[in-house]
Amino acid sequence: MHEAGIALNLIEAVLKRLAGEPVDRVPPGAGLPRVAAIHVRVGELAGVSTDALDFAFECLSARTPLAGARLVFDPVPLTVRCEACGQTTAVEDLVFRCAACGSERTRIASGRELEVRTLELEEGALAGARD
Amino acid sequence: MHEIDVKAGLLEPNDAVARENRGLLAERGLYAVNLMSAPGSGKTSLLERVLPMLAERHRVGVIEGDIVGSADKDRLDVFGGPVHQINTGAACHLDARMVHHQLHHLADDGCDVAVIENVGNLVCPAEFDLGEDDAVMLLSVTEGHDKPKKYPLMFRRADLVIVNKMDLLDRTDFSLAAAVAAVRDVHPGVAVLTTSCRTGEGIEDVVAWLEWRIATKLAACAAQPAGRTS
Repeated sequence: MHEAGIALNLIEAVLKRLAGEPVDRVPPGAGLPRVAAIHVRVGELAGVSTDALDFAFECLSARTPLAGARLVFDPVPLTVRCEACGQTTAVEDLVFRCAACGSERTRIASGRELEVRTLELEEGALAGARD
Repeated sequence: MHEIDVKAGLLEPNDAVARENRGLLAERGLYAVNLMSAPGSGKTSLLERVLPMLAERHRVGVIEGDIVGSADKDRLDVFGGPVHQINTGAACHLDARMVHHQLHHLADDGCDVAVIENVGNLVCPAEFDLGEDDAVMLLSVTEGHDKPKKYPLMFRRADLVIVNKMDLLDRTDFSLAAAVAAVRDVHPGVAVLTTSCRTGEGIEDVVAWLEWRIATKLAACAAQPAGRTS
């Protein structure tokens, strides 16, 4: 429900990464490399609408060096790790008990992720100078 | 295609401030509880009952989150402790940055308990860590017993679930057993209490739960006196 704010955080994180680190094959001072795709890991229980995030990103990135980049969402299934038997099992029908032994002592092992993982750069293509 | 790693959490800007808040609370010996529910579940009514009881043994401060206005603050001002209003404008939730300064104020004011009443909403507040010690959420019987499975993140986040408006139970089709079962599916082992802010039923249990949590927190702070300033 606040995908615009998340899209802004995403744009900021990617621009910071591009500006802060020397990137192979990009001559220094040549501006930011053009980004083809941004891979975002989204957990099943992240509480984010990927459609809304996609739309917000498209609108908010339009006048940034990330304009035209694709968001690729990698879904992460909801699983819990059992503190009794140690197994990691999938959460079905929002039942968070251990599917192996039935214990109530579980912790979310995956499914809350909301993070930029990797960027795909366009081969050799460079954006103009940064704003 | 050239690929580079980023690994940046998209809620990190909020989570960073939440960690700062958590550090502040530990350092100043302040227990903070984040009270969340749908609009109209009885958060302010619960506080009208609970605050005077907590205030017998603690210096309690309140942070009131509302989109607009100070109606809830005005209701709580009578209890005598500091009540700070945050108007979020259009935002549907409080975030860590919004409460940061108010927590400082409450610590400077000598408070050992901070009660944060979040904006009434079962969706967004669940996603924003404020740095609080405990999240308490209210579910009122008029909302229906199916809510835990509809808003799993909120019920998952809660350290205590309070079923409120118990005085209306026989006027509705609400099944307490079904509600508790759904809460326990989503969050096995979470504490569940029942209250009626109208009759006062169950209020003492809520106060006892909070006293237990406050004592646990303050004992932990006292055990690490290095950062304690008050």
